Amino acid sequence: MRDNTLKYLLVLPAVLLVFATAIWPLVESLRLSFTVGRLNRPPSLQQYIGFENYTWAFLEEPAFWNSVWVTLAYTAVTVSLTTVLALGLALLLAPGGRLRSGVQTLLILPFAMSPALIGVSFRFMFNPEFGLFDAFFGFFMPVFAGVSWLADPVLAFAVCVMADIWGWIPFLTLVLIGGLSSIPRETIEAAQVDGAGGWRLFRDVTLPQLAPVLAVVVILKSIFSLKTFDQVFMLTNGGPGTATQTLSHYIYFNGLKYGQIGYAASVAWLMVIPMIFLTYAYAKFVFRKD
Amino acid sequence: MAEVVLKNLTKRWGGFVGVDNQSLHIADKEFLVLLGPSGCGKTTTMRMIAGLEEPSSGEIWIGERMVNDDLPKDRDVAMVFQNYGLYPHMSVFDNIAYPLKVRGTPKADIAPRVRAAAEKVELTHLLDRRPKALSGGQRQRVALARAIVRTPQVFLMDEPLSNLDAKLRVSMRAELKHLSRELQITTIYVTHDQIEAMTLADRVAVMNHGVIQQLGTPDEIYNDPANLFVAGFIGSPAMNLIDGSIREGHFVTTGGTRLTAVRAADRARVVLGVRADDLRVSEPGEGDIDVPIYAFENTGEATLLTVQWGQQRVIARGDRHLRKEQNDIVGLSLNPDHLYLFDPDTGRRLTA
Ligand SMILES: Nc1ncnc2c1ncn2[C@@H]1O[C@H](COP(=O)(O)OP(=O)(O)OP(=O)(O)O)[C@@H](O)[C@H]1O
Ligand SMILES: [Mg+2]
Repeated sequence: MRDNTLKYLLVLPAVLLVFATAIWPLVESLRLSFTVGRLNRPPSLQQYIGFENYTWAFLEEPAFWNSVWVTLAYTAVTVSLTTVLALGLALLLAPGGRLRSGVQTLLILPFAMSPALIGVSFRFMFNPEFGLFDAFFGFFMPVFAGVSWLADPVLAFAVCVMADIWGWIPFLTLVLIGGLSSIPRETIEAAQVDGAGGWRLFRDVTLPQLAPVLAVVVILKSIFSLKTFDQVFMLTNGGPGTATQTLSHYIYFNGLKYGQIGYAASVAWLMVIPMIFLTYAYAKFVFRKD
Repeated sequence: MAEVVLKNLTKRWGGFVGVDNQSLHIADKEFLVLLGPSGCGKTTTMRMIAGLEEPSSGEIWIGERMVNDDLPKDRDVAMVFQNYGLYPHMSVFDNIAYPLKVRGTPKADIAPRVRAAAEKVELTHLLDRRPKALSGGQRQRVALARAIVRTPQVFLMDEPLSNLDAKLRVSMRAELKHLSRELQITTIYVTHDQIEAMTLADRVAVMNHGVIQQLGTPDEIYNDPANLFVAGFIGSPAMNLIDGSIREGHFVTTGGTRLTAVRAADRARVVLGVRADDLRVSEPGEGDIDVPIYAFENTGEATLLTVQWGQQRVIARGDRHLRKEQNDIVGLSLNPDHLYLFDPDTGRRLTA
């Protein structure tokens, strides 16, 4: 019995900590989402308004829908590009791949940088007057010479995507290299002897065995893409206009800039729903049993 | 159907030599067995023929073609891997069908051929399972079926029966022998089971330390070993090897016993080889020597007597009805027609 009590006592601090920092804010934000929730009013005036915040978002706010589409487009583009590029790199870098494995250690570097820092450095590099990329693109594709990338809605979106991919590829490549090296070598060799080569070998033998890891990569990246904030904040601050305003950025703007914390909470809760699905799928793949 | 020729084939990893300057001519339709202790380079030789390992030097020919620069898929060989190499995400059926699918066999032909191959290895009831749900022996049979489903130029089989139980191994062995005669496909077969080697092979290549020690028919390997290694490796129990010298034309053990059965030119140091079957067990005083029994074993079909002869132990095979106790004295006589002399320094066989 004593052992049992001790057991619970020992995990209690962790449970309390999770409760205080994750569960309670979550519940509290849910409560807030049903109130007027103005930062500039005392709590006594924050009356309950039911689903009004939600209906407002859905029916009266084109900006909300804009950020939904931006987020979805952003997620679709970054997830697919990052996954494909990371997979390609992993195939080159995996043991038995075509590049030296020493490069692998270098790979982790971009991931060690904070997304905000990546945002700032990309903003400098795309500066139309002294930016490195700007000069580079301008030199090779004269159409882009002197173009102000971050002032054009489509180009600004592209820059955000580039910065995101640059920051994420290394980590996901490492994950995929791990997945590739756990594929038994004999299965690849057997397929080679059986007559498969190149694309066929990849499609029939490598890819199916990599699928669980690939699923983890896609889900993980989707979660992070959906909640993208810091990079966009530093790079474009959602602009020009609202061309790169992701949901997180929209929530931040409404909640902390305009002080409509109740409304922001309700949009945040709209985001929680797909997140829960993704997290569940992620957990299922990570903790799957064979 | 093709001959396989290895010319001065060498595989080195850094300073370590896995296969050393190996030359071998395997005739069309021949069943060649590579036999040798663990780590002697059997798998490595095979992987080089399949194209999975790049030789450090030397040439590999299959039929009329030098295949050194060909990809495995272009060499038209089928291989049974030592550790199976089954596709975990495919059913047994799909595993066996894969070589056919990849090589564009018409869909209608695939199923009957897979069934036929599965039948030969007694797998038909497991076709829907995944490899994970099979025992080691069953997996091995899937690997075997995947190899025989096609008619390649060459079969490469790396210990394809090593994980089967004794009974299945005997029946699979017979099946393989039958199959190789029926299909007439050049086969290179790795094993360290001597009975497999003896029963299946047209010729056996005995390997040690990456070098072929002797190449010959099972009969030659057994009855005419080229050196000490082959003599000691082939046969169960292993050949008795007795140190001594030749004095005045007769073998004298280090203990001083003179054996008149052995006649040869005088030599300071020799090793006498004699198989357990070529030692006749008799009552004390009736044989060439009298020795005490160190251990007596009854295997059912014969008896094995380990006797203490001076400093050495020697194994003789006795009649299955013979009954003796430890420390009993027995007489042993040597069959003068089946004695072998070796040079202890070079290991080479001495011709009498
Ligand atoms: N990739 C490698 N790098 C270094 N040494 C290797 C490599 N592969 C095999 N070897 C060595 O080469 C030698 C021959 O190996 P091989 O697998 O051919 O042995 P084998 O005769 O098939 O043995 P077994 O009967 O145990 O299967 C071994 O000593 C092994 O350690
Ligand atoms: Mg081996």
